Amino acid sequence: MQRQSNQYTFMFALAVCAICSLAIASVSEGLKSRKELNVALDIKKNILKAVGLKEGLPKKATAKEVLSVYESKIEETVIDDNGEIVEAKKPGDIQEGEALHPLYIYKESGQAVSYCFPIIGKGLWSTLYGYFALEPDAMTVRGITFYKHGETPGLGAEIERDWFLNNFKGKKIWDVRSGALMPTQVVKGKVAGVIPEEKQEFYVDGISGATITGKGVSQMVDRWVHAYEPFLKKIRKQ
Amino acid sequence: MAQAILTKQERKQIKEGMWDKNPITFQVLGICSSLAVTTQLKTALVMCAALTFVVAMSNVVISLLRNMIPSKIRIIIQLSVISSLVIVADQFLRAYMYDVSKQLSVFVGLIITNCIVMGRAEAYAMANPPRQSFIDGLGNGLGYSAVLILVAIGREILGSGTLLGYPVVPRFMYDHGYVNCGIMVLAPGAFFLLGMIIWIQRALSGYTEQH
Repeated sequence: MQRQSNQYTFMFALAVCAICSLAIASVSEGLKSRKELNVALDIKKNILKAVGLKEGLPKKATAKEVLSVYESKIEETVIDDNGEIVEAKKPGDIQEGEALHPLYIYKESGQAVSYCFPIIGKGLWSTLYGYFALEPDAMTVRGITFYKHGETPGLGAEIERDWFLNNFKGKKIWDVRSGALMPTQVVKGKVAGVIPEEKQEFYVDGISGATITGKGVSQMVDRWVHAYEPFLKKIRKQ
Repeated sequence: MAQAILTKQERKQIKEGMWDKNPITFQVLGICSSLAVTTQLKTALVMCAALTFVVAMSNVVISLLRNMIPSKIRIIIQLSVISSLVIVADQFLRAYMYDVSKQLSVFVGLIITNCIVMGRAEAYAMANPPRQSFIDGLGNGLGYSAVLILVAIGREILGSGTLLGYPVVPRFMYDHGYVNCGIMVLAPGAFFLLGMIIWIQRALSGYTEQH
């Protein structure tokens, strides 16, 4: 076969494709269990970060330390659409399509310090995955984290930076005066400039250059706060 | 010892990649990633290792295939080889250095588009045997690394007052009103440092623009 012939070119391209995909697939498969372990650990770290541990994790905590703190402080529960806790179920048991939601309760000596649940929604380029944690009054935000997204570094990806996440701390999702649900929203620009003062507790500063990512964050907080409202309502009544 | 491993010619080749024809200071290639991953030394080191691996290995593979690659599709074949190697590197980072891999995010994937890698494959590996190509890739990877590490050291010390995460600016300096230089953490800081490094390197190596 001639090296410049079409036939040879096709055969060569095909062979390169086959070999490359085989190599990538085997590397990816071979490292799968390790990667999954890392992801699972990262999720636990994010839950711990969202609930705002009273004694923060050491900066270079080993996997073992993270796991032991997680297991001693976080109670994994599952709630149904009516906000009732489903006994004997863990977040890992939830099947796809079931009307059940995972709920993580951070407890210090038996007392609930924070309620935390996953939030998932669309950003600009990608799906954002994170956790949202509330104080025991079920109306004040305790923390929020994002652990997976594909937004633009330097713009949308700023959502995972502390300066953005910390803005949420102490904000409200519940308006005590009107008794209505007001999930925290991200504004375009600075809160101080666009929102009247009495409403500022429901809004956080946006990221310049990442308006759509901010909108996505607003939408997902709104959606999941509504989804967990049956449960949160009960906590507030107590 | 070094003589036994590398011939004089090969050492000259490495030196060329690192100094006389340094891909960043001489050719001004690969600037994007050198800005993006140099706020901390740790991410820069990992990035350097990943890039050096990719450029050296892709040179070897391309060089082995150089007499078989149909010229019509040579660029895309080079890209397939390079991107496969990048994915392999990325997978290893995800498995063994998850935190760093999260910080590097898309920039590991973007090694594929780094002009240094394809530049070496097309300009060198297509015409030279595997061993020389490997040395050439290594030299260029190390040249890129040297600049990246210098920029990262400067940025981390000036911007965050740390090196590899350990504080290096003494406490009493902060007590006496010293503040970290915020612009060093941002992209312009990298441009300033990079510009100065290119200037110094070119002054020392006697580079002149051709008119």
